[in-house]
Amino acid sequence: MAERTTPIRVLIAKPGLDGHDRGAKVLARGLRDEGFEVIYTGLRRTVDAIVAAAIEEDVDVVGCSILSGAHATLLPKLVSSLRASGAGDVLVVAGGIIPEADRPALEQAGIAGIFGPGTTIAEVATFLRANARRR
Amino acid sequence: MPADAKHLAARRELAQGISAVERPGPAANQRIQAALAVSVAEARNALVVGLTGAPGAGKSSLAAALADVARAAGRRVAILAIDPSSHESGGALLGDRVRIDEHPDDDGRFTRSIATRGSGRSLAHVAAAATILVEAAGFDLIFVETVGAGQAEIGIARLADVLLVVEGPEGGDEVQAMKAGILEVADIVVVNKSDRPGAQGAFDRLRSGLALGAGAPELALVSATAGAGIGELLATIDEKGASRGARGRTRRVEAHLVAAAESHVDAQVREATASGALATRAEQIVAGTQSLTGSLAALFGITESPDA
Repeated sequence: MAERTTPIRVLIAKPGLDGHDRGAKVLARGLRDEGFEVIYTGLRRTVDAIVAAAIEEDVDVVGCSILSGAHATLLPKLVSSLRASGAGDVLVVAGGIIPEADRPALEQAGIAGIFGPGTTIAEVATFLRANARRR
Repeated sequence: MPADAKHLAARRELAQGISAVERPGPAANQRIQAALAVSVAEARNALVVGLTGAPGAGKSSLAAALADVARAAGRRVAILAIDPSSHESGGALLGDRVRIDEHPDDDGRFTRSIATRGSGRSLAHVAAAATILVEAAGFDLIFVETVGAGQAEIGIARLADVLLVVEGPEGGDEVQAMKAGILEVADIVVVNKSDRPGAQGAFDRLRSGLALGAGAPELALVSATAGAGIGELLATIDEKGASRGARGRTRRVEAHLVAAAESHVDAQVREATASGALATRAEQIVAGTQSLTGSLAALFGITESPDA
């Protein structure tokens, strides 16, 4: 497949109600330094708002940071909404505090990557470059 | 397709169109021309409003506040928010959506973050093309927000039908320093954050400074976050833009032609730098083994006619 000539675009979103966005901001900055175009949307966005933003920004990846424990409902809903809106080729990944036991269900629901505490920016960047859609 | 997905389809098509014209070439040109044909056939007449000013002046919040007022009046509004790409990594952190409320169910709004990518000037090369696509998609009012930094002002002044220069309340002496270049091209100078101390003072200083010049821009004192003065500002924008007629669209095409030319030169400069040809030529010119005229031709294809 042809080498892509434009940066990978990533939407960093914080769905749900927790107000801890330090991790999301560190990741946003780090991915910028890795050559990604990062769109940061701020705190407490609804799934519908994230889907609309992902579509308007024509992103390749949506990365969600969730520390509230609401991942089990929000992330599958996000994936199904993206698919229903014709954006099923957008890679969805998640970071934050997600218990090991919840992972299989999330992977089953279409969450392509789950990054727990201690994951480096470089690891995330490598994963996104390998798995984001080509164009 | 669920009921809520259909309206997103139109936004998705526009979004993908903008991505497509971010890759310059014949396909992008065809897409832009097709959009122009749609706008002419549909007799569209979008008003493009540029917002520039120092970081932190509140451009995103102001664009969002103006968009809210215009949308409430039934107008279809778009915001194109431009932020710089890193020269080092080529990446960008685009954070303007933080200050713009999401309206996922409203097809009368569209927001897009644009990185400047390879453009050496801080108005993105794609900005003009994006406005052409957004107009064809049926948006009446298009806000283009860019970080004010030297050359960017010239680019946004070329593109916008009405140009706002946004200042914060602390803009005192710096404002004076910026004046010569930026205030010559501004249609409206907006002092934002009128709810903060010092805003009235900044407004008064600007007014006394601007009163001296002929063809001085309008002045406005607003608070984007408190909503003060936004309706009046939108009325002033409409008044300033009322005379554009068909000139708005030709202006956008001119801006795109210039951007395409700049993009071409920027690419040549990057290539000559990366390959070392630029450095080699410079050494040869210093050593007297190559001429400036010959090197301009060899590096960039620039042929200078002999002096008359």
